[in-house]
Amino acid sequence: MNGGGGGSGSGGGGSGSVKTPTDFLKLIRGRPVVVKLNSGVDYRGILACLDGYMNIAMEQTEEYVNGQLKNKYGDAFIRGNNVLYISTSKRTLADGA
Amino acid sequence: MASEEESTVKEPLDLIRLSLDERIYVKLRSDRELRGKLHAYDQHLNMILGDVEEIITSVEIDDETYEEIVRTTRRTVPFLFVRGDGVILVSPPLRTA
Repeated sequence: MNGGGGGSGSGGGGSGSVKTPTDFLKLIRGRPVVVKLNSGVDYRGILACLDGYMNIAMEQTEEYVNGQLKNKYGDAFIRGNNVLYISTSKRTLADGA
Repeated sequence: MASEEESTVKEPLDLIRLSLDERIYVKLRSDRELRGKLHAYDQHLNMILGDVEEIITSVEIDDETYEEIVRTTRRTVPFLFVRGDGVILVSPPLRTA
């Protein structure tokens, strides 16, 4: 069983059960993620849900353009065709390490 | 138990449905933004918006000073059909706290 650590797995040990992209998509709900769009804009937030088109619903979303925080959204829906990748992250909150 | 939970897990589009008849913020390609009342939408994110304000943002760079001049153009439209392929992001309106 994957150990209790909910953060990014140390090494590749925890990823043995993720066989397909679909498995990954099921795995990452509720986690802090980084979503990069084709346009280069970055969105960081907590993944609420997503579907097979890579449409994404996120909470507490922050928008970064050229590395700079530009906007914050309470809820955000992102159309899947714009998504370049979805990555999990250790959410680095400004108020604490 | 896990399979029952999966049948109730909502898609991102279901979460947009919660915003029907509410005012929303839409980010479009070509540096455009819309704020209006969501009357209807579909899986392509074609949308019908009412009482819409459109904001078009353009950035010019001065050749000598290299400062960025950000211009915004606004217009209001009482009733608008938005083609879904131009949509990037949908969100409840930004609350300037």
